[in-house]
Formats: sequence, C-alpha cells, structure tokens
Amino acid sequence: MGVRVIIKNAETGANVAMDLEPTNSVQEIIDSIAMYWEKDAGAYVIRKGKKLLKGEQMIGDLGFAENDEIELIPDPEGGI
Amino acid sequence: MFDQDRLERSKRISWLDMDGIAGTKCLVVGAGALGNEVVKNLVLSGFKNIELVDMDHVVRSNLNRCVFFREGDAEQKLMKSKIVTTRAAELDPTSTVVPSIARIETYDVERFQSFDIVLGCLDNIAARLHVNSHSFLARRPYIDGGTNGFMGKVQVVIPPDTPCLQCTMNRTHYRVIEKRFSCTGANVSYFEPRMPAEITTTSVIAAIQVREALKLASDKADKCIRNVMFYDGLNGTSDQFEADIDPDCPMHERYP
Repeated sequence: MGVRVIIKNAETGANVAMDLEPTNSVQEIIDSIAMYWEKDAGAYVIRKGKKLLKGEQMIGDLGFAENDEIELIPDPEGGI
Repeated sequence: MFDQDRLERSKRISWLDMDGIAGTKCLVVGAGALGNEVVKNLVLSGFKNIELVDMDHVVRSNLNRCVFFREGDAEQKLMKSKIVTTRAAELDPTSTVVPSIARIETYDVERFQSFDIVLGCLDNIAARLHVNSHSFLARRPYIDGGTNGFMGKVQVVIPPDTPCLQCTMNRTHYRVIEKRFSCTGANVSYFEPRMPAEITTTSVIAAIQVREALKLASDKADKCIRNVMFYDGLNGTSDQFEADIDPDCPMHERYP
C-alpha cells in the first residue's frame, strides 16, 4: 500500500508531498525530487529523523507513516 | 608565570591531553580554504607534527577565505602547501609543519600509516574516495570536511567501526564523479565547477574538524561526531545524523 510523505528542501525550506509505493527506492526519491526542484547536478542525501537513508533502501522497509517528513540535504563537496 | 606558557589556557581544559596532542602526527589533505583554517587551528591547538599535501598554486580568488595567502602569493603563483606551512610555523616555532607538493593519489597505504589522523580539506568526491579508502586500509581515523556556500558537513570515520564516506554515498555522488571525468573516446576532459565559498562557513567546518582531532588525540573517540554533522549557516542550525555501515560497501565488505 502506498504512503504519502512530505519532502522538505533543506536549502529553501520548501515542502512537497509525494505519493510513494513500497517498491520505490530512496534513490528514486532523490532523483525525482532533485529534478522537481531543478537542483544543480550535485550530491544529495535524504534523512528521516536522525537517520541518513541509503540510496538502495526501499520505502516498504522504512516504516513510513502517512505524512511523515523527510529532508533532502545537499552533500557539500567544496573546501578549496 | 601563568602567561609564559603558550598552552596554559588549553591545559585548563581537563580532558585535553596536551602530550597526546603534541605527539599526534596529522596529515592534512588540501591547502585551500579548509586547509588554511585546519592547519591554523591544529598549530594553535598544540599539534606539533603536521604534513600538508596539495599540488596547486595560489590564485587571487582564494584570498577571500584563506588566512595565510597574500596578494603577492597569487601574483607569483606560489605553491599553496609551501605558503601555508611556512606561515603556520610562525604561529608556533616549536611545531613542525611540512609541505608536500603532490597529488594525494600518489600517497599509498604505507604512507597513510605513518600518520595518526587524516584531515580531508578537499573539493571533489573522487579525491575524497581515495583518502577514504587509504585511511580505511591504513586503519587511521579520517575527518572529512566539506562546504558549499553557507552549508557544510563534517564526517568522522574510525575504521572499521564506523560508516565510511562510501557507506553514505548514493548515485548522485557517482554522477558528480562521472561529470567531472567525461571520456569522449580520444580525450578525457575534466570539468571543475567553481563552488560558492566564504570564510565564515569555512571557519566553522574547519574548527569542528580540528575539535574532532583534539578528541581523538585525547583518547575521547567516544565523544566524536556520530556519524555525520550537517551545518546550515543561513538558518544557524547544525545536526548530527546517524548512518549505517553499508553491507555492500567495498571497504567494509573486503576489509572488515
């Protein structure tokens, strides 16, 4: 059964709801939402609460409840 | 008398092991914005044995965030690691700060084993993966810092007990590497993006990296960041997030 989650943009504070299926992967969320927000081609991670999610994890294994919030965070690459 | 000892105020922090810190050998990878701040903080904190590796020269656009660089360094195209180490040693003449003008990819595992702590001050994922794997194989703690504008990140890897950088990566990271190195058949081109950078975020991230090094050198690894700390300077927030060791991580899988 599908679940609706709220995805937050760590850079802008914007939110968007996304309907997910148990077979969707975290990587698919990152790809879709980065495209939706027209993000630069950089590295991103997603957190749920205090946990960073792995790209290959499946939604069905993550125990999402309706309207749970996750956050898309840019993984900063610079330093020079 | 109290004011004659340069580390007297540090010694008042009971958990800091000043002998341990002085005896710890640090490898700093990258002599850019983070590298300048990290080396400055290491020397002022009492680390006496530092090697700084970088293969680049100073350019004028470095000058908004690099405490050791001057206009003349950019004009003369002086090597970053040489400038930083020379000027950092002036902060504490009893410290040994050694430059290495080289690509970090030329450092093998044995070389990594000659250090106690590795601090990453890099600007690309491919170099981070090299430092990550070699620190892992050498079983040396790796403190990686990264910035992008007002965002920053610090990850502490204590191999093999904690997740490494590769454990926390996903396809977006590998796409960035692919974009940097694109092979069109005859030629391999290298795309180097210019990332936003400023000194306040750089200072915060470098300070946290060195603070983690102080904990490791003082036998306080249990107090280190678990596992990744993200910093958002615009909103004034920071948070630590847990990550899991990836069972498919090539480092953890092959070298548990």
